[in-house]
Amino acid sequence: MAEQRSFKLRVNGSLHTVTSDPDEPLLWVLRDHLKLTGTKFGCGEGECGACAVQINGEVYRSCLVTVGEVDPGDEIVTIEGLGQPGNLSPLQQSFIDHTAFGCGYCTPGMIVTADALLRSNPRPSRDEIVRTMDDNLCRCASYPAIVDAIEAVAGDRAKKED
Amino acid sequence: MPLSRRAFLELLGGSTAYAFTFSCTGGSDGPAPAPTPRPVTGDHALRYFVDYTEWLFIHADSSVTVHTGRIDMGQGLKTVLSNLVSQGLQIAPEKVTIVLGDTDRCPDDGPTEGSSATRIVGWGYWRACERVRGHLVERAAEALGVSVRRLEYHDGAVVGTKDPDLRLAIGELADGSLHLDTIDPTERWESATTYVDRGTGNVNAEAVVTGTLVFTGDLFAGECPYGSLALPEHHIHFSKIESADLEAAARTPGVDHVARLGKTAFAVGSGFRAVQNGLENLAPVWKVPTEPQEMDVEGWIRERATPVKTIEESGRAEDVLAAAEIRLGETYITQYATQAPIETETSVAEVGDDGVTVWASTQAPFKARKAVADRLKIDEEKVRVIAMPVGGGFGVKVNTLAPAEAALMARAAGRRVKHVYTRPYQVIGRGRYKEAVVADITSAVTADGSLVARTLDLYQDEGFGSTGTYDIPHVRSRLLHSKMPARHGTMRGTSFVQTCFAVESHTDMVAAEIGMDPVDFRKKNVAYASFRPLLDACAERIGYGARELPENHGIGFGICHHGGRQLGATAAEVSVNRRTGEVRVERMVGALDIGLVINRNTVRATVTGAMIWGLGFALFEEVHLDGHRTATRSMADYRIPRFSDIPPIDLIFLSNEVKIPRPRGCGELQVIPTIGAIANAVHQAVGVRFHTLPLTPERVLAALGS
Repeated sequence: MAEQRSFKLRVNGSLHTVTSDPDEPLLWVLRDHLKLTGTKFGCGEGECGACAVQINGEVYRSCLVTVGEVDPGDEIVTIEGLGQPGNLSPLQQSFIDHTAFGCGYCTPGMIVTADALLRSNPRPSRDEIVRTMDDNLCRCASYPAIVDAIEAVAGDRAKKED
Repeated sequence: MPLSRRAFLELLGGSTAYAFTFSCTGGSDGPAPAPTPRPVTGDHALRYFVDYTEWLFIHADSSVTVHTGRIDMGQGLKTVLSNLVSQGLQIAPEKVTIVLGDTDRCPDDGPTEGSSATRIVGWGYWRACERVRGHLVERAAEALGVSVRRLEYHDGAVVGTKDPDLRLAIGELADGSLHLDTIDPTERWESATTYVDRGTGNVNAEAVVTGTLVFTGDLFAGECPYGSLALPEHHIHFSKIESADLEAAARTPGVDHVARLGKTAFAVGSGFRAVQNGLENLAPVWKVPTEPQEMDVEGWIRERATPVKTIEESGRAEDVLAAAEIRLGETYITQYATQAPIETETSVAEVGDDGVTVWASTQAPFKARKAVADRLKIDEEKVRVIAMPVGGGFGVKVNTLAPAEAALMARAAGRRVKHVYTRPYQVIGRGRYKEAVVADITSAVTADGSLVARTLDLYQDEGFGSTGTYDIPHVRSRLLHSKMPARHGTMRGTSFVQTCFAVESHTDMVAAEIGMDPVDFRKKNVAYASFRPLLDACAERIGYGARELPENHGIGFGICHHGGRQLGATAAEVSVNRRTGEVRVERMVGALDIGLVINRNTVRATVTGAMIWGLGFALFEEVHLDGHRTATRSMADYRIPRFSDIPPIDLIFLSNEVKIPRPRGCGELQVIPTIGAIANAVHQAVGVRFHTLPLTPERVLAALGS
C-alpha cells in the first residue's frame, strides 16, 4: 500500500479534497470519504455495473478506477448528481413509472449508465439501449421494464422535438 | 424489569393496539383462546405480543402502524402491505407505516421464503383489518351511545348510516386500549369489502431511483471499520487454516486487528480494500480434503447414495410399469447453481455491554438473531437484528451467517464492524448452492395417451419436488440421500426446479413416444383442471401450430404447481444456432393462476424476473466444481441473464376462484415451468433431447455434432 496523498475531486459539481492511498478504488472513496452511498459495491471486478459513475460524461466502473487515476479537472457524476427525492430527472421518473426495478440495488448503476447514453444519443433505438446497457446486471431481472423506461424517455424527447 | 400490562399501556401513549394470531380451532372446545401477552424487558417492549403474528396500532392522528418480521427484497412486500392496510381500513397510503424485520419491534412471523409473505402476512393483515373495522364500529356505538346498527365503517371513520353528523375518525377512537384476538384461518368468511388492485407504485420508488434507499452497507459511511474473513479455495465447511502469517496481515496499513476465527481467520481495518490487502498478506495455508480433480457429478452422487425415503406412493407403480406395453425410462441431471444477488451478504454489528445490535441483509431476522446468540453464546433477548432493505436474496439470505460473523469480529475487535462479502466469498465461502440432482424417471402410458404409472428417484441431499402435477394412478417417488460434493441451501424455486425439469422434459418424451401433441398430452393428464386454460392461453398467445416456424426454431411448454396452489404454465420459442451451438429464447409467454393480485406492478415485475431466472438456469448458470473445490470464483465465471438475452415476454393472469379470491403468492412459481419449456423447445427445434443442464453452446454443439 502506497502512502496517503491528498486528492482534489469534482463530484456532482462540488469540489472535494480527500486524503487517500492513490490505489484506492474510486468506489470506496465516494462511499466512505464523501458518503455518496448511492454508488453500490456489487462485485469489485467490473462485471456487474452497480458501481457505475460518469467521468466527463463517459461511464466507468468505479470499482476499477483508482482515485489516483482521476484528474483534478475530471467531472465525476454519481446517482446523487442526477436528481434528488422531490426533484427527479425524467429518467428517474420513468424508472418509477415502469416499475423498472425489484430490490433496487443495481438501479443507481442502471440510471447512471442510461443517463450517459441519453446525453450522447438522445433518441437511441431499442437495440442501442440493449447494447449500451448489456454490461449492467440485474438479478431481479427487471430488464424488459428498464429498456421500456429508457425508451419512453427517448420517445418523449422525440415527441417534443417533432 | 418485566413489562407489566399497565406499563405497556402507558407506552402505547393513547394509541389503540390490536394483536391477532391465526390459530386453528381448539378442537371440541371451540376456538383456541388468545394467548396472554408475554412481558419482556426494556427496549423489547413491542415484543409484548411475542405470540401474536399481526400487530396493528391506530394512533390519535388516524395513522396506522403495522409490524412484520418479514422483509422486503424487491418482491414489494412493503408496497403490498401498504396497499392492503390502506384499503382494509380505507385510509390514505401515507397514513400507513410498515415496520419490517426488526426483532425488537416485530413479530416472529416466519422467514421471507417460499413465496409466502403476501399469501400469509398480507392476507393476515387484510383479515385483521376486517376485525378492526368491526371493533371500531362497536367502540363508536358505545362512545356515541347509539346502536351499532345505525353506524358503519367508511373511509377511515365510523359514520352514521343515515345521520352524517355521527362521525368519529379512527384516531378519535384511539384510547390506549389493547385488544387481543385469534382468527381461525380455516373459518369461512365473507368480506364486506373486496380488494381492488389499484396498481400503485412501489413505496420505496423515489429512494431507489435516487440512490438514497439505505442498504446495510450504506450505514455508518466513513465511520465504521470493515471486517472480512479469509477465503479458502474450497468451501469453509471443507477447509481449515493450518498456518497463516497473522503478523504480516496485522502490519498491513489500515489493518488493526487480525485473529483466527473457527476454521478461518479475519482482519478488521479502516477500509474495505485495506482489509482485503491484510487477508492477502495473511497468506493462509489451507488443509483441504483430497478429492478427485475431475468432477463427475452424476457418478459422485450415485456412488454415495444411501437408503431411500419414500416421498409418495399410491397404487403399484413398479408392477404396472413392469407389465406395461409402452414404457419410457430416462435420467435427467441438473447443475449446481448459485443465487448471486447483486448485493452480497452484508451485516454491521455492534457489541455493547447490554447486548448486540446487528443490521443485516437477511431474509430471516429471527433466524439471524438465533445464529448470533448461538455463536456468541448469549441469550437471544440480548440480540437485536434489524433487517435492512435486501439487495436481492433468492434464498441465500435465509440462513446468512454474515450477522454472526460480523458480531464475532465486532466483539473480538472491540469495535463496530461492517462485514461485506467479497464476490468470491459470496460464490464460494459457504456454498449453499442449489444442489445438483440426478433424477431417474420412468413412466407407463396407454396408446391413447393416459399416464398410468410413474416412478421417480431423486438423488439429492434433501428437499422434494412437485410430483403431483399429473394425475397418475400408480406413483412411487423416492428420495435417495447422497453425500453431496458441495454445501447446498435454498435457492428460488427450491427443489421444484430440478424435479420439474425432469418431469416436464420426460412428459414431452412420453408424448412423443405415442405420437401425441405435448399440449394435448398435458391437458389429458393434468391433476388440476385449471392447467388446461393456462396451457390454451400460452399456446394461443405464442401462436403454437398457427404459424410456420423458421428452421431450427421450436416451441416448448412446461407446467408446474407450487406453494399454496399456485399454478403456472410457460410457452417458450427458441432458436438454435447449429454453427455456434447457441440457444436463444425468442419469445416467452407465462400464464398463471395465483389467485388475487394485490399489486399488478410488483407481480408483473416478480413474475417476469422469475421467467428470466428460468431462462438463466436452462441456458447458462452453473457452479463448476473440482472435487470439493469451487472453480467458479467470480461474476465473470458465472453467467447470469443480461439485457441481450431477454426475449419479449407476455404474461396472462387467470384466476379460477369465484368466491372470495385471495392471494396465493408468486415469487418463485414461474421459474419452474420455464426451464422445462425451454428444454422442450430446443428438442422441437433440433430434435435432440438434452438430459443435462445447462444448455451451453459447448454442450449443444457436442450433441448436434454426434
